Amino acid sequence: MKNMKHLVVCAAGALALAVTGCGTPVNSVENAQKEGQRNMVADQRVISDPGLNRHVNIVGVNTAMTPGGLLSVQVELQNNSRSQHRFNYQFEWFDANGMQVSSIISAVTPAQIEGKESKFVSSIAPTPGCKDFRLKLIDAD
Amino acid sequence: MKTKILVPLAAVGVALLAGCATDAHYVQTGGRENVVTVSGINIQDYIQAASASVTKLLAAGALDRVQNPPAVLAMSRIINNTGQQIDTDLLTKKIRVALLQSGKAVTTTTFGLGGQAEDPLAKGIQQEQEFTSDQKTTRTPDFSLSGKIIETVARAGDTRQSTYSFQLSLTDKQGLAVWEDEEEITKQGSRASVGF
Repeated sequence: MKNMKHLVVCAAGALALAVTGCGTPVNSVENAQKEGQRNMVADQRVISDPGLNRHVNIVGVNTAMTPGGLLSVQVELQNNSRSQHRFNYQFEWFDANGMQVSSIISAVTPAQIEGKESKFVSSIAPTPGCKDFRLKLIDAD
Repeated sequence: MKTKILVPLAAVGVALLAGCATDAHYVQTGGRENVVTVSGINIQDYIQAASASVTKLLAAGALDRVQNPPAVLAMSRIINNTGQQIDTDLLTKKIRVALLQSGKAVTTTTFGLGGQAEDPLAKGIQQEQEFTSDQKTTRTPDFSLSGKIIETVARAGDTRQSTYSFQLSLTDKQGLAVWEDEEEITKQGSRASVGF
């Protein structure tokens, strides 16, 4: 009986350790009165992996033009779980005719997000002729 | 009765074995199915480093600050400070291609380190043209791109960790580094694997 109690205590301890090891929620602070204004754009989403969407949730998309005339895009992601998550992302770029422009800029990039963390991923158009973009998020865990 | 159980079990076993075997097949370069090794720079590492560097270089607008765009870029030395023998063109060519595609820069192949042209024939043609037309056609590069690749290794028990730092500097005609970048890729594990 005593052994059983020990076993339960040890198991609970191990479980607690495992949970704290995986859970790495992030606390953050930022200026409340923002100087910069993000140019948020209307987005269209396709969610095929609800599990990934919970860990890497798309909060919003904003764009800007560089002085050199290239479209840059920034996507805010939010991890709604308490655990760290690994994922891959890839930006695809399209010209004015909707044709995809292949470039090294569209490389698959590995990333990770901590529990409850908000994170930005960004890209820049490979040519001034690129007008549209698509972000792909792929689970890596 | 025994046969009824054994036959499906054997079939499952064969299927599992077949599933684990890796017959030769094509995978997307730089994709999720690429082999990842801790002790070396993989192709996806070059792709990621080049991608991140080009993104930052275009965003910085350093190449836009020339009188006659597009900027002319000369390739300088990329020092390999890793323990491996690597061809630095795996990094620089990707950057050159992306910059040319962007319309922001063209790379000279007749102006090289120590007077060595990357394309000796092109240099010969250029010199011939200058001689016959009696006009200087060579455009002096606006920038040179140099860099270094550094490897940092750490180990804890069976777990090995390697960090590859891809450092790049864009220097203008005045000898000033007008843009610099460092991309670091860290890999950790006890053995090679497939996927990011």
